[in-house]
Amino acid sequence: MRTSAVFAAALSLVSFAAANSPVSQTYPPPQVWKNANLVHIISAEKNYVKENINVLIENIAKQPQDEYFLPFTTDQLARLGGVEVKDRKDAKAGPFVAEIVEVDPKRNTQYLRIQLPTPLKPGAQQTIGISYYLLDAYKPLPATINIEDPQFLSYSFSAYCPSAYTTSKQKTEVKFAFSNIPDYTRLPGSGDVAEFPVKQGAKLTYGPFDEKAAGAVEPVQVRFEFNRPVNHVADLERDVEVSHWGGNVAFEERYTWIQGGANLTNHFSRVKYQHFRLPTWHILREMRFPLRVGSSDPYYTDVIGNISTSHFRSNKREALLEIKPRYPLFGGWKFPFTIGWNSDAQNFLRKTATGGYVLNVPFLEGPRQAEGVEYEHVQVRVILPEGAENVKYTTTIPSSSIVSAKVVIHKTFLDSVGRTSLVIKARNLVDDFRDRELVVSYDYPLTASLRKPIVVIASSMAFFAGIWLLGNLNLQFSK
Amino acid sequence: MSADLLQAVADVGKGKGTRSLLRVVILCLIAGAAIASRLFSVIRFESIIHEFDPWFNFRATKYLVANGFYNFWDWFDDRTWHPLGRVTGGTLYPGLMVTSGVIYHALRALNIPVDIRNICVLLAPAFSGLTAFASYLLTNEMTTTPSAGLLAAIFMGIAPGYISRSVAGSYDNEAIAIFLLVFTFYLWIKALKQGSMLWGAMCALFYGYMVASWGGYAFITCLLPLHSFVLICMGRYSTRLYVAYTTWYALGTLASMQIPFVGFLPVKTSEHMPALGIFGFLQLLGFLDYVRSAIPGRQFQTFLWLFAGGIFGVGLGGLVLATSLGFIAPWSGRFYSLWDTGYAKIHIPIIASVSEHQPTAWPAFFFDLNMLIWLFPAGVYLCFQQLADEHVFIVVYALFGSYFAGVMVRLMLTLTPVVCVAAAMAMSSLFDTYLVAKAPKPEDHVADEASEGAAKKAAKTGLKSTSRPVVGVYSYFAKGTIVSGLTLYLLLFVLHCTWVTSNAYSSPSVVLASKMPDGSQHIIDDYREAYQWLRQNTADDAKIMSWWDYGYQIGGMADRPTLVDNNTWNNTHIATVGKAMSSREEVSYPIMRQHEVDYVLVVFGGLLGYSGDDINKFLWMVRIAEGIWPDEVKERDFFTPRGEYRVDGEASEAMKNSLMYKMSYYNYNMLFPPGQAQDRVRGVRLPEVGPTLSTLDEAFTSENWIIRIFKVKDLDRFGRDHGQAMAFERGIKKKAPRKKGPRTLRVD
Repeated sequence: MRTSAVFAAALSLVSFAAANSPVSQTYPPPQVWKNANLVHIISAEKNYVKENINVLIENIAKQPQDEYFLPFTTDQLARLGGVEVKDRKDAKAGPFVAEIVEVDPKRNTQYLRIQLPTPLKPGAQQTIGISYYLLDAYKPLPATINIEDPQFLSYSFSAYCPSAYTTSKQKTEVKFAFSNIPDYTRLPGSGDVAEFPVKQGAKLTYGPFDEKAAGAVEPVQVRFEFNRPVNHVADLERDVEVSHWGGNVAFEERYTWIQGGANLTNHFSRVKYQHFRLPTWHILREMRFPLRVGSSDPYYTDVIGNISTSHFRSNKREALLEIKPRYPLFGGWKFPFTIGWNSDAQNFLRKTATGGYVLNVPFLEGPRQAEGVEYEHVQVRVILPEGAENVKYTTTIPSSSIVSAKVVIHKTFLDSVGRTSLVIKARNLVDDFRDRELVVSYDYPLTASLRKPIVVIASSMAFFAGIWLLGNLNLQFSK
Repeated sequence: MSADLLQAVADVGKGKGTRSLLRVVILCLIAGAAIASRLFSVIRFESIIHEFDPWFNFRATKYLVANGFYNFWDWFDDRTWHPLGRVTGGTLYPGLMVTSGVIYHALRALNIPVDIRNICVLLAPAFSGLTAFASYLLTNEMTTTPSAGLLAAIFMGIAPGYISRSVAGSYDNEAIAIFLLVFTFYLWIKALKQGSMLWGAMCALFYGYMVASWGGYAFITCLLPLHSFVLICMGRYSTRLYVAYTTWYALGTLASMQIPFVGFLPVKTSEHMPALGIFGFLQLLGFLDYVRSAIPGRQFQTFLWLFAGGIFGVGLGGLVLATSLGFIAPWSGRFYSLWDTGYAKIHIPIIASVSEHQPTAWPAFFFDLNMLIWLFPAGVYLCFQQLADEHVFIVVYALFGSYFAGVMVRLMLTLTPVVCVAAAMAMSSLFDTYLVAKAPKPEDHVADEASEGAAKKAAKTGLKSTSRPVVGVYSYFAKGTIVSGLTLYLLLFVLHCTWVTSNAYSSPSVVLASKMPDGSQHIIDDYREAYQWLRQNTADDAKIMSWWDYGYQIGGMADRPTLVDNNTWNNTHIATVGKAMSSREEVSYPIMRQHEVDYVLVVFGGLLGYSGDDINKFLWMVRIAEGIWPDEVKERDFFTPRGEYRVDGEASEAMKNSLMYKMSYYNYNMLFPPGQAQDRVRGVRLPEVGPTLSTLDEAFTSENWIIRIFKVKDLDRFGRDHGQAMAFERGIKKKAPRKKGPRTLRVD
């Protein structure tokens, strides 16, 4: 698969193909492509922005080309995540390699380099679909509201899709969750459309536009109703602990949850909160975690102890953990918490024919919210049994989102040499990735599994023997 | 057949090895029972620190674990008593925190990463197991019957009087102090019996540990000299006593002076003077003893009386003189309140305001000790029968323990060990008499009667009761009745202890439990809801003003600086908060500004019927404030003319205008249909128009309104006072009716 790294059992740092591969590149990229047709779909339905660029590219150079560049501002780059590029015509071609190339850190525009699997001959065309997510995308406008007021967000973007190449024809669609869109920038129309954008229910369409030069931008801003919480997870630490003796896989997730919506103008009034009940509201009152079937013993705590407002529904078809924060979350309010649960090892762990083990767990298992959840920093730590070696992993999370991965030693419960654990750090993920897999394979020899019982028995025997010897010592003066 | 079986069963316990094995197993089971019976709250709720003081201890322990011992020792805490701060490292008893810290690091060294919270929660139950063992040892010193010790251990393990302070989560100094108390007493008896310097030194060592752990160490400091003094008065001065006492006193005092909070108190305060006095007195006696061996008897008598009397007089005179000149601090207020139960109420309301400082009600003795309370005098009587040195100790301890337990509820704790020991002696003596299958042979009895004549002569030396020979019981019926009766009592005792522990002593008080209509448990978690809100959504250095009860919890759970807390070291500061709470807004606002208060937290139980709220504590705030500002705050003003304490429409003006009243009922009437607002604690209907606040904004109110947090407004932008500003804002809305008013001529 795409991202795969091989580790020695001991500490080994893996440098990733992404982010730091040295490329000598001219700036801006050479004009070897033309965008024959481009459709830019901005989906602002959730509390992050998902952008889709479907583009028909044409090689206008003399040589075959296999590198296509897409520009981003440095500000966007910090919030960019989950970049995936596919061939629109051939679903089986699999995701292309896409990575940020840093040519000149001082410039405001940086490029995403897309590697086509096969070079395109001069004059040939190909349709590629680029999708990515932008976190922290909106600004509440007005910035502060009352409890009973609806919440409006604003989003700024360019009506012309930013491109490093000339674009012959393009249009930009913006989709929203609610049809109430009070303000948006109006542009002069073309053809039979008098004015852009065209509003259709909860959708705005800018374009189609005629040919625009490379790098052309037309800044527009939309202000739309989003009467839902803006869920931002600043930090997620996810632990997956495998126990062979217990036949158990234990999950624990620690969230630093921030509601990023509009703040309250006045302070929180309980009376008002108890009186108003709206169908959708900019207040986060509940989270629902659909866990894998077979999950059990969930817990939900924070730094000062157990939180009793949770409900776990578990049967043969589902394992749904519904939790309520200690207090309803208004814009700007923070609520860190921890949840955890257990599951049978056989749901996730398999023994291979060669004697090794393969663990297949979801990379991310956040709540499923109608308004979406965005994750700024994610750390997944897979704690394997003591003595596990030859750790390899693959994941279906886009490789550009993964920051680092390493194998470290984690010492806990009566360990003598410590447990091998794989720590993967990722950033800018969203809940669309919640069912992506993380597959870890490792070897676990029998001697390693017997180490702990032997060490514990031997040391407690030694302890008792020592006590017995001390007890038999005669310290009295002879009479 | 059955006799054979009985014999076989009895034989099992005959061998020495088997017996000691059995004893170890029984003691382990007792320790297990003691621990298990304290886990109600963990099972019902969660592993959580209880109540108020434990939250401070927990916070201090976390500080110790995070920053190391020396930083802990030098800890100046600027997050309490704002703006004064507290020299926490020098004003606490570090024993408890250090104990948990050591356990924490030991477990870490073994790679057992137990959370420090769980160590703190389970420390008290673990030590209660040790206490049971210590009382076994102590009782074994008192009697030759082996069963008494085991009975004492189980009594100690499950007596509610001790459980009240040692359930899981009750992470207070008493959690380890009671073990140290009993163990120190055991070592003292051991040292005294053997005259051994080693045991004396051990006793001093544990005494030092005790001093490091609990302010109640003064009980040992006074009881050991008293015991010695009584022994001397009984003419039982011996070199054993001399060795034991001087070793203990010299080493123990040095050890106690190592604790910064104690420092030079052992030579400076009146509480410690008896120990010093007896130390001197023993030196004197030792000297006299030496002199007696050198000079003949008759001259010695005269010399003795003159010398001893003279020295005693001089010593006492010196003490009085030093006290009056101020070299030795006189008894502190807390100690006065031990002699005069009304003292605190008049002079130190802050002590009287704590419920555990109230005199004990009679039923409390039965509630906390059940059948032990009537076995206790019997046990003390048995001590009189033998009356060796160690029995004198029990007698003295029993006397003092009973007195103090009667004066202050919390001192029931120090009485419990001696009650358990004495009751176990009584109980085991009953069993020894009645649980013997073999009937005494008549010849023995006759022989006994024959020897009675001889015994009568010997009786003159001891107490009358000791001379009577033990005969035994013949009737199986009597034996059976008594034994089954006693067994029934024991079983009832277990039932009672379980019931009391489960119902009275296992509530964390941070979390409240209620029942849903379908019988399932519903947790009311308002405290933590509000504390967590404070912790996450206010500035890290936002100062919280609340009544001192909640200071430790805010420090521990909300992690925010507070003005006053349960340490109560500065009465004026507490009175300042009391004044701010009980005054009009115009008076309170400058006080809050001066103390940089950002938020004010009040506890209000009106919606839920939670009676431990601030309105019910309000009179104490008024009283404490009145103690400092008698002209500005007057308790009388808060009562209606008929002398009632009311919160409804009839409430006094001072009450209605006080900040506490306004904060508690702010916006509360909006929750109900007009005119229907009901206070469920006081059971009254509230006025239709609720109070208005001009200097504070409501910032947060918890789900059941138990905790209400208000933000102190910034100064008005136009330099008006807040009352005017609010009136202006209301005035704008009511512009029209204002114009309708009758025109008046302007008169300058």
